[in-house]
Amino acid sequence: MRARRLLVAALLPLTLAGCAGTDAPEQESAASTAASTAAERSGSGDDPATASPAAPAEAAGQRIEVQVAGGQVTGDTGRVPVPLGEPVTLVVTGDAADELHLHGYDLTAELVPGQPAELQFDATIPGVFELELHDAGTVLLTLQVS
Amino acid sequence: MTLLAHGVGSRTDLPIPLGLALYGAGAAILISFAALLLLWRTPKLGGSDSGRPLPAAVQRAVDSAALRRTLQAVALALLVLVIAAALGGPEETARNLAPWALYVTFWVGLVPASLLLGPVWRVANPLRLLHRILRAAVPRAPGARRLPALGLWPAAASLLVFLWFELVYPGRAEPVTVAAFLIGWAVVHTGLALWFGEEWFASGDGFEVYSTLIARLSPWGRRGDGRLVLRNPLANATATPETPGLAAVVVVLLGSTAFDGLSRTAWWQTGPGAANDSLSGTLGLVAMVGLVAVLYLLGTRLSGRLAGQPLGVQPRRYAATVIPIALGYTIAHYFSLLVLDGQTTWILASNPFGVPGVDLFGTYGNVLDLAAVSPDTIAYVQVGGVVAGHVAGVTLAHERALRSERHARASDQLPLVVVMVLFTVGGLGLLFGF
Repeated sequence: MRARRLLVAALLPLTLAGCAGTDAPEQESAASTAASTAAERSGSGDDPATASPAAPAEAAGQRIEVQVAGGQVTGDTGRVPVPLGEPVTLVVTGDAADELHLHGYDLTAELVPGQPAELQFDATIPGVFELELHDAGTVLLTLQVS
Repeated sequence: MTLLAHGVGSRTDLPIPLGLALYGAGAAILISFAALLLLWRTPKLGGSDSGRPLPAAVQRAVDSAALRRTLQAVALALLVLVIAAALGGPEETARNLAPWALYVTFWVGLVPASLLLGPVWRVANPLRLLHRILRAAVPRAPGARRLPALGLWPAAASLLVFLWFELVYPGRAEPVTVAAFLIGWAVVHTGLALWFGEEWFASGDGFEVYSTLIARLSPWGRRGDGRLVLRNPLANATATPETPGLAAVVVVLLGSTAFDGLSRTAWWQTGPGAANDSLSGTLGLVAMVGLVAVLYLLGTRLSGRLAGQPLGVQPRRYAATVIPIALGYTIAHYFSLLVLDGQTTWILASNPFGVPGVDLFGTYGNVLDLAAVSPDTIAYVQVGGVVAGHVAGVTLAHERALRSERHARASDQLPLVVVMVLFTVGGLGLLFGF
Protein backbone atom coordinates (compact mmCIF):
# COMPACT_ATOMS: atom_id res chain seq x y z
CA MET A 1 0.00 0.00 0.00
CA ARG A 2 2.76 2.40 0.96
CA ALA A 3 4.53 1.59 -2.26
CA ARG A 4 1.41 2.36 -4.26
CA ARG A 5 0.91 5.72 -2.60
CA LEU A 6 4.54 6.51 -3.31
CA LEU A 7 4.04 5.56 -6.92
CA VAL A 8 1.03 7.82 -7.34
CA ALA A 9 2.95 10.63 -5.70
CA ALA A 10 5.83 10.07 -8.09
CA LEU A 11 3.56 9.99 -11.15
CA LEU A 12 1.48 13.02 -10.33
CA PRO A 13 4.06 15.66 -11.28
CA LEU A 14 4.85 13.62 -14.37
CA THR A 15 1.33 13.67 -15.76
CA LEU A 16 1.14 17.35 -14.95
CA ALA A 17 4.39 17.92 -16.78
CA GLY A 18 2.93 16.02 -19.74
CA CYS A 19 0.38 18.72 -20.48
CA ALA A 20 2.14 21.75 -19.06
CA GLY A 21 4.30 22.61 -22.05
CA THR A 22 7.55 24.03 -20.72
CA ASP A 23 8.94 22.09 -17.79
CA ALA A 24 12.60 21.31 -17.41
CA PRO A 25 13.48 17.85 -18.77
CA GLU A 26 15.55 17.13 -15.65
CA GLN A 27 12.38 17.32 -13.65
CA GLU A 28 10.59 15.01 -16.03
CA SER A 29 13.38 12.46 -16.15
CA ALA A 30 13.71 12.57 -12.40
CA ALA A 31 10.00 11.89 -12.09
CA SER A 32 10.11 9.02 -14.55
CA THR A 33 13.08 7.41 -12.81
CA ALA A 34 11.19 7.71 -9.58
CA ALA A 35 8.18 6.16 -11.27
CA SER A 36 10.14 3.28 -12.67
CA THR A 37 11.85 2.53 -9.40
CA ALA A 38 8.54 2.80 -7.62
CA ALA A 39 6.94 0.52 -10.17
CA GLU A 40 9.81 -1.86 -9.78
CA ARG A 41 9.43 -1.83 -6.05
CA SER A 42 5.71 -2.42 -6.18
CA GLY A 43 6.30 -5.17 -8.73
CA SER A 44 9.15 -6.87 -6.95
CA GLY A 45 7.69 -6.58 -3.45
CA ASP A 46 6.93 -9.84 -1.69
CA ASP A 47 3.51 -8.47 -0.82
CA PRO A 48 1.16 -10.58 -3.00
CA ALA A 49 -1.54 -7.90 -2.86
CA THR A 50 0.34 -5.76 -5.40
CA ALA A 51 -0.16 -8.37 -8.08
CA SER A 52 -3.84 -9.03 -7.41
CA PRO A 53 -6.12 -7.32 -9.92
CA ALA A 54 -8.78 -5.71 -7.71
CA ALA A 55 -7.06 -3.79 -4.95
CA PRO A 56 -9.52 -1.31 -3.35
CA ALA A 57 -7.21 1.72 -3.75
CA GLU A 58 -7.67 1.68 -7.53
CA ALA A 59 -11.32 0.88 -7.88
CA ALA A 60 -11.71 3.82 -10.27
CA GLY A 61 -10.06 3.75 -13.68
CA GLN A 62 -9.02 1.09 -16.11
CA ARG A 63 -6.66 -1.79 -15.45
CA ILE A 64 -4.95 -3.29 -18.50
CA GLU A 65 -2.90 -6.45 -18.12
CA VAL A 66 -0.48 -8.06 -20.55
CA GLN A 67 1.71 -11.14 -20.27
CA VAL A 68 4.82 -11.78 -22.37
CA ALA A 69 6.25 -15.30 -22.64
CA GLY A 70 8.74 -16.47 -25.25
CA GLY A 71 8.07 -13.41 -27.40
CA GLN A 72 4.31 -14.11 -27.41
CA VAL A 73 2.05 -11.42 -26.00
CA THR A 74 -1.25 -12.38 -24.37
CA GLY A 75 -3.90 -10.51 -22.40
CA ASP A 76 -5.24 -7.08 -23.34
CA THR A 77 -3.23 -6.77 -26.55
CA GLY A 78 -4.11 -5.02 -29.78
CA ARG A 79 -5.94 -1.68 -29.80
CA VAL A 80 -7.18 -0.85 -26.28
CA PRO A 81 -9.66 2.05 -26.04
CA VAL A 82 -9.41 4.32 -22.99
CA PRO A 83 -11.69 7.30 -22.24
CA LEU A 84 -9.85 10.65 -22.11
CA GLY A 85 -8.92 11.68 -18.57
CA GLU A 86 -9.44 8.22 -17.08
CA PRO A 87 -6.85 6.87 -14.59
CA VAL A 88 -5.10 3.90 -16.18
CA THR A 89 -3.01 1.11 -14.67
CA LEU A 90 -0.90 -0.91 -17.10
CA VAL A 91 0.40 -4.18 -15.67
CA VAL A 92 2.97 -6.16 -17.62
CA THR A 93 4.44 -9.51 -16.62
CA GLY A 94 7.31 -10.81 -18.71
CA ASP A 95 9.75 -13.71 -18.81
CA ALA A 96 12.77 -11.59 -19.74
CA ALA A 97 14.36 -8.45 -18.35
CA ASP A 98 13.46 -5.41 -20.43
CA GLU A 99 12.17 -1.89 -20.18
CA LEU A 100 8.56 -0.85 -20.71
CA HIS A 101 8.00 2.33 -22.66
CA LEU A 102 4.67 4.07 -23.23
CA HIS A 103 5.20 6.48 -26.15
CA GLY A 104 3.74 9.97 -26.07
CA TYR A 105 3.23 9.90 -22.33
CA ASP A 106 6.90 8.93 -22.24
CA LEU A 107 6.60 6.66 -19.20
CA THR A 108 9.05 3.87 -18.52
CA ALA A 109 9.34 1.03 -16.01
CA GLU A 110 11.86 -1.75 -15.48
CA LEU A 111 10.56 -5.19 -16.31
CA VAL A 112 11.96 -7.95 -14.08
CA PRO A 113 11.31 -11.56 -15.21
CA GLY A 114 8.29 -13.06 -13.51
CA GLN A 115 7.34 -9.93 -11.62
CA PRO A 116 4.50 -7.66 -12.72
CA ALA A 117 5.57 -4.10 -13.57
CA GLU A 118 3.04 -1.31 -13.31
CA LEU A 119 2.55 2.05 -14.99
CA GLN A 120 -0.11 4.29 -13.46
CA PHE A 121 -1.19 7.53 -15.07
CA ASP A 122 -4.17 9.65 -16.06
CA ALA A 123 -4.94 9.37 -19.78
CA THR A 124 -4.87 13.13 -20.41
CA ILE A 125 -3.34 13.20 -23.92
CA PRO A 126 -5.67 12.15 -26.75
CA GLY A 127 -4.30 10.01 -29.57
CA VAL A 128 -3.01 6.52 -30.29
CA PHE A 129 0.11 5.46 -28.39
CA GLU A 130 2.26 2.33 -28.42
CA LEU A 131 3.36 0.42 -25.35
CA GLU A 132 6.54 -1.37 -26.27
CA LEU A 133 9.36 -3.42 -24.82
CA HIS A 134 12.32 -1.17 -25.37
CA ASP A 135 15.04 -3.79 -25.85
CA ALA A 136 13.07 -6.51 -27.62
CA GLY A 137 11.23 -3.92 -29.73
CA THR A 138 7.91 -5.76 -29.27
CA VAL A 139 4.74 -3.68 -29.34
CA LEU A 140 2.57 -4.99 -26.49
CA LEU A 141 -0.52 -2.94 -27.23
CA THR A 142 -1.66 0.40 -28.59
CA LEU A 143 -3.60 2.67 -26.30
CA GLN A 144 -6.36 4.62 -28.02
CA VAL A 145 -7.20 7.59 -25.80
CA SER A 146 -10.34 9.47 -26.90
CA MET B 1 13.52 0.35 -30.68
CA THR B 2 10.33 0.14 -32.64
CA LEU B 3 8.62 2.90 -34.41
CA LEU B 4 5.27 4.02 -35.43
CA ALA B 5 4.11 3.71 -38.97
CA HIS B 6 5.68 6.93 -40.14
CA GLY B 7 9.49 7.25 -39.80
CA VAL B 8 9.36 8.70 -36.31
CA GLY B 9 6.70 9.94 -33.95
CA SER B 10 5.40 9.38 -30.46
CA ARG B 11 1.74 9.15 -31.40
CA THR B 12 -0.67 8.57 -34.25
CA ASP B 13 -4.02 10.17 -34.93
CA LEU B 14 -7.26 8.82 -33.60
CA PRO B 15 -9.52 7.29 -36.24
CA ILE B 16 -11.84 9.97 -37.60
CA PRO B 17 -15.47 9.66 -36.46
CA LEU B 18 -17.65 7.56 -38.75
CA GLY B 19 -20.10 10.41 -39.30
CA LEU B 20 -17.38 12.73 -40.49
CA ALA B 21 -15.98 10.05 -42.81
CA LEU B 22 -19.43 9.49 -44.34
CA TYR B 23 -20.15 13.22 -44.73
CA GLY B 24 -16.76 13.65 -46.39
CA ALA B 25 -17.32 10.75 -48.77
CA GLY B 26 -20.83 11.93 -49.59
CA ALA B 27 -19.64 15.46 -50.26
CA ALA B 28 -16.87 14.18 -52.52
CA ILE B 29 -19.26 12.07 -54.60
CA LEU B 30 -21.90 14.78 -54.85
CA ILE B 31 -19.40 17.48 -55.82
CA SER B 32 -17.82 15.22 -58.44
CA PHE B 33 -20.99 14.68 -60.40
CA ALA B 34 -22.19 18.24 -59.88
CA ALA B 35 -18.82 19.37 -61.27
CA LEU B 36 -19.25 17.21 -64.38
CA LEU B 37 -22.67 18.66 -65.08
CA LEU B 38 -22.35 22.25 -63.90
CA LEU B 39 -18.77 23.38 -64.46
CA TRP B 40 -17.72 25.48 -67.41
CA ARG B 41 -18.07 23.95 -70.89
CA THR B 42 -15.06 25.59 -72.53
CA PRO B 43 -11.52 25.85 -71.08
CA LYS B 44 -11.58 28.56 -68.46
CA LEU B 45 -8.37 28.42 -66.47
CA GLY B 46 -5.47 30.32 -67.92
CA GLY B 47 -2.70 28.37 -69.60
CA SER B 48 1.04 28.53 -69.21
CA ASP B 49 1.10 32.16 -70.31
CA SER B 50 -1.49 33.41 -67.82
CA GLY B 51 -0.82 35.26 -64.60
CA ARG B 52 0.09 38.69 -63.30
CA PRO B 53 3.85 39.35 -63.71
CA LEU B 54 5.78 40.15 -60.54
CA PRO B 55 7.84 43.37 -60.45
CA ALA B 56 11.12 43.04 -62.33
CA ALA B 57 13.10 43.75 -59.16
CA VAL B 58 11.48 40.75 -57.45
CA GLN B 59 12.23 38.55 -60.43
CA ARG B 60 15.88 39.68 -60.47
CA ALA B 61 16.25 38.98 -56.76
CA VAL B 62 14.60 35.54 -56.92
CA ASP B 63 16.54 34.50 -60.01
CA SER B 64 19.85 35.89 -58.80
CA ALA B 65 22.71 33.46 -58.45
CA ALA B 66 23.68 35.11 -55.17
CA LEU B 67 20.35 34.21 -53.53
CA ARG B 68 20.50 30.65 -54.77
CA ARG B 69 24.10 30.07 -53.71
CA THR B 70 23.41 31.59 -50.30
CA LEU B 71 20.35 29.42 -49.66
CA GLN B 72 22.15 26.35 -50.99
CA ALA B 73 25.12 27.06 -48.73
CA VAL B 74 22.82 27.39 -45.71
CA ALA B 75 21.05 24.15 -46.63
CA LEU B 76 24.40 22.42 -47.12
CA ALA B 77 25.57 23.58 -43.69
CA LEU B 78 22.34 22.28 -42.15
CA LEU B 79 22.74 18.98 -43.99
CA VAL B 80 26.26 18.60 -42.61
CA LEU B 81 25.04 19.52 -39.14
CA VAL B 82 22.23 16.94 -39.26
CA ILE B 83 24.62 14.21 -40.44
CA ALA B 84 27.12 15.17 -37.72
CA ALA B 85 24.36 15.13 -35.10
CA ALA B 86 23.20 11.73 -36.35
CA LEU B 87 26.70 10.32 -35.93
CA GLY B 88 27.94 12.28 -32.92
CA GLY B 89 24.77 13.13 -31.01
CA PRO B 90 22.82 11.04 -28.48
CA GLU B 91 22.25 7.49 -29.74
CA GLU B 92 18.63 7.33 -28.68
CA THR B 93 16.18 8.35 -31.43
CA ALA B 94 14.06 10.32 -28.97
CA ARG B 95 17.03 12.57 -28.12
CA ASN B 96 18.72 12.73 -31.53
CA LEU B 97 17.98 15.64 -33.83
CA ALA B 98 18.56 13.86 -37.15
CA PRO B 99 15.48 11.58 -37.49
CA TRP B 100 13.13 14.41 -36.51
CA ALA B 101 14.84 16.91 -38.77
CA LEU B 102 14.68 14.58 -41.79
CA TYR B 103 11.35 12.78 -41.49
CA VAL B 104 9.24 15.48 -39.86
CA THR B 105 10.59 18.98 -40.33
CA PHE B 106 12.19 18.55 -43.75
CA TRP B 107 10.03 15.96 -45.52
CA VAL B 108 6.66 17.05 -44.12
CA GLY B 109 7.63 20.72 -43.82
CA LEU B 110 8.57 20.76 -47.52
CA VAL B 111 4.83 20.58 -48.32
CA PRO B 112 3.63 23.82 -46.64
CA ALA B 113 6.87 25.56 -47.66
CA SER B 114 6.37 24.68 -51.33
CA LEU B 115 2.65 25.41 -51.21
CA LEU B 116 3.24 28.91 -49.86
CA LEU B 117 6.55 29.89 -51.46
CA GLY B 118 6.82 27.82 -54.62
CA PRO B 119 9.53 25.29 -55.58
CA VAL B 120 11.80 26.08 -52.62
CA TRP B 121 13.94 22.98 -52.88
CA ARG B 122 14.84 23.70 -56.49
CA VAL B 123 16.30 26.98 -55.25
CA ALA B 124 17.86 25.72 -52.00
CA ASN B 125 18.91 22.17 -52.97
CA PRO B 126 22.36 21.87 -51.34
CA LEU B 127 23.42 19.13 -53.77
CA ARG B 128 23.27 21.65 -56.59
CA LEU B 129 26.00 23.62 -54.83
CA LEU B 130 28.01 20.47 -54.17
CA HIS B 131 27.69 19.53 -57.83
CA ARG B 132 28.77 23.01 -58.90
CA ILE B 133 31.91 22.74 -56.79
CA LEU B 134 32.80 19.27 -58.04
CA ARG B 135 31.99 20.09 -61.64
CA ALA B 136 35.28 21.94 -61.84
CA ALA B 137 37.00 18.57 -61.67
CA VAL B 138 34.64 16.77 -64.06
CA PRO B 139 33.78 19.39 -66.66
CA ARG B 140 31.80 17.30 -69.12
CA ALA B 141 28.58 15.48 -68.40
CA PRO B 142 28.78 12.40 -70.61
CA GLY B 143 25.12 11.40 -70.22
CA ALA B 144 23.51 14.81 -70.73
CA ARG B 145 21.95 13.90 -74.07
CA ARG B 146 20.12 10.90 -72.67
CA LEU B 147 18.49 12.69 -69.73
CA PRO B 148 15.41 14.20 -71.48
CA ALA B 149 14.27 10.74 -72.60
CA LEU B 150 14.10 9.59 -68.97
CA GLY B 151 11.57 12.27 -68.03
CA LEU B 152 10.58 12.13 -64.38
CA TRP B 153 11.01 8.36 -64.05
CA PRO B 154 14.28 8.74 -62.09
CA ALA B 155 12.43 10.94 -59.58
CA ALA B 156 9.71 8.33 -59.14
CA ALA B 157 12.41 5.74 -58.43
CA SER B 158 14.35 7.93 -56.00
CA LEU B 159 11.15 8.89 -54.15
CA LEU B 160 10.24 5.23 -53.83
CA VAL B 161 13.68 4.55 -52.32
CA PHE B 162 13.24 7.33 -49.76
CA LEU B 163 9.69 6.25 -48.94
CA TRP B 164 10.81 2.67 -48.44
CA PHE B 165 13.43 3.88 -45.96
CA GLU B 166 10.91 6.11 -44.24
CA LEU B 167 7.94 3.76 -44.04
CA VAL B 168 9.31 0.22 -44.24
CA TYR B 169 12.96 -0.24 -43.22
CA PRO B 170 12.86 -1.46 -39.58
CA GLY B 171 15.87 0.63 -38.50
CA ARG B 172 14.46 3.79 -40.10
CA ALA B 173 14.53 5.96 -36.99
CA GLU B 174 18.04 5.02 -35.87
CA PRO B 175 20.27 8.09 -36.17
CA VAL B 176 22.90 5.95 -37.94
CA THR B 177 20.36 4.98 -40.62
CA VAL B 178 19.51 8.62 -41.16
CA ALA B 179 23.20 9.53 -41.53
CA ALA B 180 23.81 6.65 -43.94
CA PHE B 181 20.72 7.56 -45.96
CA LEU B 182 21.64 11.23 -46.24
CA ILE B 183 25.25 10.53 -47.18
CA GLY B 184 24.12 7.92 -49.71
CA TRP B 185 21.53 10.29 -51.17
CA ALA B 186 24.08 13.10 -51.51
CA VAL B 187 26.71 10.87 -53.10
CA VAL B 188 24.34 9.16 -55.53
CA HIS B 189 22.55 12.29 -56.71
CA THR B 190 25.68 14.42 -56.97
CA GLY B 191 27.36 11.58 -58.86
CA LEU B 192 24.42 11.20 -61.23
CA ALA B 193 24.37 14.97 -61.75
CA LEU B 194 28.05 14.84 -62.75
CA TRP B 195 27.12 12.17 -65.28
CA PHE B 196 23.86 13.63 -66.60
CA GLY B 197 24.51 17.31 -65.97
CA GLU B 198 22.88 19.72 -63.53
CA GLU B 199 19.47 19.11 -65.06
CA TRP B 200 19.54 15.78 -63.25
CA PHE B 201 18.26 17.41 -60.08
CA ALA B 202 15.08 18.60 -61.75
CA SER B 203 14.25 15.14 -63.06
CA GLY B 204 15.93 12.72 -60.67
CA ASP B 205 16.20 14.23 -57.20
CA GLY B 206 12.96 13.09 -55.54
CA PHE B 207 12.94 15.88 -52.97
CA GLU B 208 13.30 18.57 -55.61
CA VAL B 209 10.67 17.06 -57.86
CA TYR B 210 8.30 16.69 -54.91
CA SER B 211 8.76 20.33 -53.94
CA THR B 212 8.27 21.42 -57.56
CA LEU B 213 5.08 19.37 -57.91
CA ILE B 214 3.53 20.72 -54.70
CA ALA B 215 4.52 24.21 -55.87
CA ARG B 216 2.25 23.64 -58.88
CA LEU B 217 -0.58 24.31 -56.42
CA SER B 218 1.04 27.48 -55.11
CA PRO B 219 0.14 30.90 -56.53
CA TRP B 220 3.68 31.35 -57.90
CA GLY B 221 4.30 30.28 -61.45
CA ARG B 222 6.54 30.90 -64.40
CA ARG B 223 5.23 31.91 -67.78
CA GLY B 224 6.40 30.23 -70.96
CA ASP B 225 8.94 33.04 -71.42
CA GLY B 226 10.40 32.54 -67.94
CA ARG B 227 8.64 35.52 -66.37
CA LEU B 228 7.60 34.98 -62.73
CA VAL B 229 3.86 35.42 -62.28
CA LEU B 230 1.23 35.34 -59.61
CA ARG B 231 -1.71 33.22 -60.72
CA ASN B 232 -4.62 31.05 -59.71
CA PRO B 233 -3.14 27.83 -58.27
CA LEU B 234 -5.50 25.77 -60.43
CA ALA B 235 -4.22 27.53 -63.56
CA ASN B 236 -0.71 26.90 -62.27
CA ALA B 237 -1.44 23.19 -61.94
CA THR B 238 -3.04 23.09 -65.40
CA ALA B 239 0.18 24.49 -66.84
CA THR B 240 2.21 21.51 -65.56
CA PRO B 241 4.12 20.08 -68.54
CA GLU B 242 3.10 16.56 -69.55
CA THR B 243 6.50 15.04 -68.84
CA PRO B 244 6.91 11.25 -69.15
CA GLY B 245 7.01 9.74 -65.67
CA LEU B 246 4.92 12.48 -64.08
CA ALA B 247 2.11 9.99 -63.56
CA ALA B 248 4.56 7.58 -61.91
CA VAL B 249 5.70 10.24 -59.43
CA VAL B 250 2.13 11.11 -58.49
CA VAL B 251 1.15 7.45 -58.17
CA VAL B 252 4.16 6.75 -55.92
CA LEU B 253 3.26 9.68 -53.66
CA LEU B 254 -0.40 8.71 -53.43
CA GLY B 255 0.30 4.99 -52.99
CA SER B 256 2.92 5.48 -50.28
CA THR B 257 0.69 7.80 -48.27
CA ALA B 258 -2.11 5.25 -48.62
CA PHE B 259 0.29 2.59 -47.32
CA ASP B 260 1.21 4.83 -44.38
CA GLY B 261 -2.50 5.16 -43.60
CA LEU B 262 -3.02 1.42 -44.02
CA SER B 263 -0.14 0.58 -41.69
CA ARG B 264 -1.75 2.67 -38.95
CA THR B 265 -5.00 0.73 -38.98
CA ALA B 266 -5.65 -1.91 -36.34
CA TRP B 267 -6.52 -4.28 -39.20
CA TRP B 268 -3.03 -4.05 -40.68
CA GLN B 269 -1.23 -4.10 -37.33
CA THR B 270 -2.96 -7.27 -36.18
CA GLY B 271 -3.33 -8.84 -39.63
CA PRO B 272 -1.01 -8.77 -42.66
CA GLY B 273 1.48 -6.38 -41.06
CA ALA B 274 1.61 -8.05 -37.65
CA ALA B 275 5.19 -9.22 -38.23
CA ASN B 276 6.20 -5.56 -38.61
CA ASP B 277 9.25 -6.52 -40.68
CA SER B 278 10.79 -5.51 -44.01
CA LEU B 279 8.96 -8.18 -45.97
CA SER B 280 5.41 -7.34 -44.91
CA GLY B 281 6.16 -3.62 -45.20
CA THR B 282 7.70 -3.92 -48.66
CA LEU B 283 4.80 -6.03 -49.91
CA GLY B 284 2.30 -3.59 -48.41
CA LEU B 285 4.02 -0.56 -49.96
CA VAL B 286 4.31 -2.22 -53.37
CA ALA B 287 0.70 -3.41 -53.19
CA MET B 288 -0.65 0.05 -52.39
CA VAL B 289 1.44 1.79 -55.07
CA GLY B 290 0.41 -0.96 -57.50
CA LEU B 291 -3.27 -0.61 -56.62
CA VAL B 292 -3.19 3.15 -57.11
CA ALA B 293 -1.30 2.69 -60.40
CA VAL B 294 -3.79 0.17 -61.79
CA LEU B 295 -6.81 2.27 -60.82
CA TYR B 296 -5.24 5.40 -62.25
CA LEU B 297 -4.30 3.74 -65.55
CA LEU B 298 -7.76 2.23 -65.87
CA GLY B 299 -9.50 5.54 -65.20
CA THR B 300 -7.40 7.64 -67.56
CA ARG B 301 -7.34 5.10 -70.37
CA LEU B 302 -11.06 4.37 -70.20
CA SER B 303 -11.81 8.08 -70.24
CA GLY B 304 -9.48 8.44 -73.20
CA ARG B 305 -11.19 5.59 -75.05
CA LEU B 306 -14.63 7.14 -74.54
CA ALA B 307 -13.37 10.47 -75.79
CA GLY B 308 -11.54 8.92 -78.73
CA GLN B 309 -8.18 10.25 -77.56
CA PRO B 310 -4.84 8.43 -78.04
CA LEU B 311 -4.51 6.13 -75.03
CA GLY B 312 -0.75 6.32 -74.57
CA VAL B 313 -0.61 9.96 -73.48
CA GLN B 314 -3.69 9.80 -71.24
CA PRO B 315 -1.97 8.89 -67.93
CA ARG B 316 0.60 11.65 -68.37
CA ARG B 317 -2.00 14.17 -69.52
CA TYR B 318 -4.08 13.82 -66.35
CA ALA B 319 -1.23 13.27 -63.86
CA ALA B 320 -1.22 16.88 -62.71
CA THR B 321 -4.89 16.59 -61.82
CA VAL B 322 -4.02 13.99 -59.18
CA ILE B 323 -1.48 16.29 -57.45
CA PRO B 324 -4.20 17.93 -55.28
CA ILE B 325 -5.53 14.52 -54.28
CA ALA B 326 -2.02 13.43 -53.26
CA LEU B 327 -1.63 16.73 -51.41
CA GLY B 328 -4.94 16.17 -49.59
CA TYR B 329 -3.76 12.72 -48.50
CA THR B 330 -0.47 14.19 -47.31
CA ILE B 331 -2.15 16.91 -45.26
CA ALA B 332 -4.52 14.36 -43.75
CA HIS B 333 -1.72 12.04 -42.70
CA TYR B 334 1.07 14.38 -41.67
CA PHE B 335 -0.52 17.60 -40.43
CA SER B 336 -0.56 16.45 -36.82
CA LEU B 337 2.94 14.98 -37.11
CA LEU B 338 4.34 18.33 -38.16
CA VAL B 339 2.58 20.44 -35.52
CA LEU B 340 2.92 17.97 -32.63
CA ASP B 341 6.02 15.81 -33.05
CA GLY B 342 7.61 18.57 -35.15
CA GLN B 343 8.16 20.42 -31.87
CA THR B 344 10.87 17.87 -31.08
CA THR B 345 13.13 19.21 -33.83
CA TRP B 346 13.12 22.69 -32.29
CA ILE B 347 13.74 21.28 -28.83
CA LEU B 348 16.67 19.13 -29.97
CA ALA B 349 18.12 21.75 -32.34
CA SER B 350 18.97 23.77 -29.26
CA ASN B 351 21.56 21.14 -28.33
CA PRO B 352 22.24 18.94 -31.39
CA PHE B 353 25.07 16.97 -29.80
CA GLY B 354 23.49 16.46 -26.40
CA VAL B 355 26.31 18.25 -24.60
CA PRO B 356 25.35 18.98 -20.97
CA GLY B 357 24.69 22.66 -20.34
CA VAL B 358 24.30 23.65 -24.00
CA ASP B 359 21.00 25.38 -24.86
CA LEU B 360 21.48 27.54 -27.96
CA PHE B 361 17.90 28.77 -28.42
CA GLY B 362 16.63 28.28 -24.89
CA THR B 363 14.21 25.61 -26.09
CA TYR B 364 16.04 22.49 -24.89
CA GLY B 365 14.02 22.44 -21.67
CA ASN B 366 10.67 22.55 -23.47
CA VAL B 367 8.41 19.56 -23.12
CA LEU B 368 6.61 18.21 -26.18
CA ASP B 369 3.00 19.39 -25.97
CA LEU B 370 1.00 16.59 -27.59
CA ALA B 371 -2.29 18.25 -26.69
CA ALA B 372 -1.50 21.48 -28.60
CA VAL B 373 -4.10 20.64 -31.26
CA SER B 374 -7.36 18.98 -30.28
CA PRO B 375 -8.43 15.68 -31.88
CA ASP B 376 -11.50 17.44 -33.32
CA THR B 377 -9.33 19.98 -35.11
CA ILE B 378 -7.10 17.22 -36.46
CA ALA B 379 -10.12 15.26 -37.74
CA TYR B 380 -11.59 18.33 -39.49
CA VAL B 381 -8.24 19.17 -41.09
CA GLN B 382 -7.92 15.55 -42.26
CA VAL B 383 -11.36 15.31 -43.85
CA GLY B 384 -11.20 18.90 -45.11
CA GLY B 385 -7.81 18.24 -46.75
CA VAL B 386 -8.97 15.08 -48.50
CA VAL B 387 -12.25 16.56 -49.74
CA ALA B 388 -10.67 19.85 -50.86
CA GLY B 389 -7.96 17.91 -52.72
CA HIS B 390 -10.64 15.85 -54.40
CA VAL B 391 -12.64 18.89 -55.51
CA ALA B 392 -9.51 20.53 -56.94
CA GLY B 393 -8.58 17.26 -58.67
CA VAL B 394 -11.97 16.82 -60.32
CA THR B 395 -12.00 20.46 -61.42
CA LEU B 396 -8.52 20.15 -62.94
CA ALA B 397 -9.47 16.93 -64.73
CA HIS B 398 -12.54 18.64 -66.18
CA GLU B 399 -10.45 21.53 -67.48
CA ARG B 400 -7.85 19.15 -68.87
CA ALA B 401 -10.50 17.20 -70.76
CA LEU B 402 -11.89 20.38 -72.32
CA ARG B 403 -8.39 21.39 -73.33
CA SER B 404 -7.69 18.17 -75.16
CA GLU B 405 -11.05 18.37 -76.93
CA ARG B 406 -13.09 21.54 -76.99
CA HIS B 407 -16.48 19.89 -76.86
CA ALA B 408 -15.60 16.94 -74.67
CA ARG B 409 -18.71 15.22 -73.35
CA ALA B 410 -19.08 15.19 -69.59
CA SER B 411 -19.80 11.46 -69.66
CA ASP B 412 -16.34 10.76 -71.17
CA GLN B 413 -14.76 11.87 -67.92
CA LEU B 414 -16.81 9.47 -65.86
CA PRO B 415 -14.19 6.69 -65.50
CA LEU B 416 -11.51 9.06 -64.22
CA VAL B 417 -13.94 10.78 -61.86
CA VAL B 418 -15.02 7.39 -60.51
CA VAL B 419 -11.37 6.51 -59.86
CA MET B 420 -10.86 9.84 -58.08
CA VAL B 421 -13.93 9.12 -55.95
CA LEU B 422 -12.42 5.71 -55.13
CA PHE B 423 -9.13 7.35 -54.07
CA THR B 424 -10.99 9.79 -51.86
CA VAL B 425 -13.40 7.32 -50.30
CA GLY B 426 -10.50 4.90 -49.81
CA GLY B 427 -8.44 7.65 -48.20
CA LEU B 428 -11.28 8.52 -45.84
CA GLY B 429 -11.71 4.80 -45.09
CA LEU B 430 -8.05 4.60 -44.10
CA LEU B 431 -8.46 7.63 -41.82
CA PHE B 432 -11.50 5.98 -40.28
CA GLY B 433 -9.44 2.83 -39.89
CA PHE B 434 -12.09 0.57 -41.42
